[in-house]
Amino acid sequence: MKNALLLPLLCVFGLQAKAATDARVAAAEAAYAAGTYQEALDLYNAVALDLNSAALQYNIGNCHSKLNAVPQAILHYERALRLTPGAEDIQANLDRMRALTVDRMTSVPTFTLGTTWDRWKAGADMDQWARRALWAMLMSCALGAATVLVRTATSRRVLIGFALTGLTITGACTLLAFSRASSIQDGSQAIIMSTNLDVLSEPRAGTTKQFVLHAGTKITVLRSQGDWYEVRIANGAVGWVPVESLEVI
Amino acid sequence: MCTRERILSLLALVLLPLLTWAQEIQVSAKVDREQADVGSAVTLTLTIVNPPRGTSLDPPALGSLAIVNGPVDANRGHIANGRRGSVFTRTWVLTATKAGTYTIGPATVSVGNASITTDPITLTFVRGQDSPAAGSALEQAQQRNPDLLCVLSLNKSKAFVGEQLIATYTLYSRYGNLSSAQTGTTKANGFWVEEVELGQVNFEPAPRAVNGLQYRVAVIRKQLLIPQRSGKLKIDPVELAYRVNPSFFSQGAVVEIRTNGVELQVNEPPASKPADYIGAVGELQLNSGFKTHTVMVNEPVDLSLRFSGKANLRLIDAPQLDLPVGFETYDPKIVDRITVSASGMNGSREFQYLLIPRHAGEHEIPALTFSYLDPATGAYHTLSTGPLRITAKDDPNAPAGSSAPRQHDVKQLADDIRYIRTGDLGLHVEHAPLVYRWPFWTGLALPVLALIGLLFVHRARQQRLADTSGMRRNNAKRVAERYLKDAATALRNNEREAFHTAVGKALEGFFADRFDLGVAEVDARRIHQHLDGMDSGRTAQAYAELLAESQLARYAPLENKPRQQVYDEAVALIERIGSSPRS
Repeated sequence: MKNALLLPLLCVFGLQAKAATDARVAAAEAAYAAGTYQEALDLYNAVALDLNSAALQYNIGNCHSKLNAVPQAILHYERALRLTPGAEDIQANLDRMRALTVDRMTSVPTFTLGTTWDRWKAGADMDQWARRALWAMLMSCALGAATVLVRTATSRRVLIGFALTGLTITGACTLLAFSRASSIQDGSQAIIMSTNLDVLSEPRAGTTKQFVLHAGTKITVLRSQGDWYEVRIANGAVGWVPVESLEVI
Repeated sequence: MCTRERILSLLALVLLPLLTWAQEIQVSAKVDREQADVGSAVTLTLTIVNPPRGTSLDPPALGSLAIVNGPVDANRGHIANGRRGSVFTRTWVLTATKAGTYTIGPATVSVGNASITTDPITLTFVRGQDSPAAGSALEQAQQRNPDLLCVLSLNKSKAFVGEQLIATYTLYSRYGNLSSAQTGTTKANGFWVEEVELGQVNFEPAPRAVNGLQYRVAVIRKQLLIPQRSGKLKIDPVELAYRVNPSFFSQGAVVEIRTNGVELQVNEPPASKPADYIGAVGELQLNSGFKTHTVMVNEPVDLSLRFSGKANLRLIDAPQLDLPVGFETYDPKIVDRITVSASGMNGSREFQYLLIPRHAGEHEIPALTFSYLDPATGAYHTLSTGPLRITAKDDPNAPAGSSAPRQHDVKQLADDIRYIRTGDLGLHVEHAPLVYRWPFWTGLALPVLALIGLLFVHRARQQRLADTSGMRRNNAKRVAERYLKDAATALRNNEREAFHTAVGKALEGFFADRFDLGVAEVDARRIHQHLDGMDSGRTAQAYAELLAESQLARYAPLENKPRQQVYDEAVALIERIGSSPRS
């Protein structure tokens, strides 16, 4: 009863919120087109407080890169890429920003097949595989139900065959949904925000300096202890950095 | 008193013969001006009229004044009052390097023991104000070498970028005979320089006096200068060498001189620059046109643009033609008919474009506009060709495929980030992936449960359908009740035939269904056979009688019992048999 009363109320608030968001996005677009990137960035950030999408992260990244904030731009491009892997414009801008970073990281070149698979797996929406699993399950159950209508044993066998195929597809979709969800919720990748960052041998200030990293470099977080992260860079070197020097993607 | 008289008388005694020989000896010292600019020349002239023989001259003290030239002595005779006389002049050209007041001391002329002293002269030199550039340059050059000097002057003191200027080199010489030994190059950074052809260099017929000195003057060189950028541009001094006074025995001495340097303020062309202004300054006309107006496809045709007038013609680049698609062109050929004279650059520059139409048809090249700056008014003028039309005709003999245009690769000029995404950003509230939440698993389980339920129901129904006689028996009472309802209706409406038909069908049908028989098989014998076990045969008896009664009454208007009673009995019988266990 309580829910039934709340529902239309929520709808009204939802519509109002959507109108406000649309206005903000339009204003941000106009500001960006006029070249006032800081204003555009503030508006997009306001939208990003409670909403998210690859396009939004991409636009925020663009604002940062126009304001010459390279590490922030890289961070947001990485977030956008995580939501839609293989998006061509995001990848192009990210590559441009990476070219401006100090640390040269030679990452393993990905095969075209790999990126195509990533793109296909990611699709437009992180929940698409879960929805496909639901549809496939519904279809195979419907096919199973249809067996009671047919008369001949042959057609019944065919239907059962289809239903089992549908069940297999359901299983595959569920696995893909799990894989996608885990890649989205992966908290192990981070971007360095500090201009110059000493990577230490122990999670304590003043310990041996292992190597120096610079803003915009992407690293893997291995574990955390107190206010320190143990990180690994692309060439396999490992060390400890303070929490505030990183931003997890 | 006595002494003074003696001196006077002595003086009279000494001077009397002089005065009688030349009644007046006059001595004066004069300057041509008492105030002058620093660096400019002042001429001091000491004049002695009728100097007697044996006159000696003690020159004046000049202090810190510099002698530019002199002293130069001149002596000429003259006749005054019927007597022969003479005038002696000694001339100095003086200057000062610093501003201030200078005193020229008294000059003393002594004749024998007597002497005459001139008055001192006070000169004031002031910091130079707006002395004309050439003038001060001339005076400075005169200070460097009063005998041979060369002055470089420009005909304008400020100009627009691209405006034409004439630089004139004027030689001032006090030598009788000289020839050029070496002419240095002009170092004029930021200028386009062209020599003006002067032909034979001749000295001006009349000499010119500069600060009291006589010079023969000749314009030895003229240059056309076109500034290429704005700001203060400088022309460095030019080194010149002259061989002076050659004779049969000697080659003459070499005198090296240097012209003055010149500074020029060059201004940017005025704002409100038209888009088609590409730096032409002067006065221009434009003639344009095709050589022919009809041409075969793929055959070249000449388009000529001819700029003529007085302008920096050599610096006009080929204007970019706005050619319609289907035309091919090459870099234009430039034909210059330009003369550089003392009045500047004159003539014409013609651009000959070779156009090749690749498609047949009437083609129109949009009007080409060209703006130039008129330096006199500082205003822009625009010339236009007007639309240029040409007709291209198909060549019937051309081989197929010959009209393919040449292709070029697209050049990447810069690499900026790509633009933001606009429109629908596909915004959504952030949440955990669906696969981690319960609606997914509920959604997955629901169809399975529904299917299982469906299959259970279906199986039960199948089992029931498999048992048809049991089905009939189960439904017998329901079917009979439907007929009895019809009977009740007929009873109310007092319809005999319908009532008995309905009661008969109810009894017959119920019995047939109940014992799995055909309706035609229902007769008294079978009723007894199946129902004798009940109620020691009374039920069978009643059932058979009632059935007979209703069958009889259906066709004949004979009724042994009231209809209500028949009805009640039928209901009671069917109820009793239906609720009895199956036999």
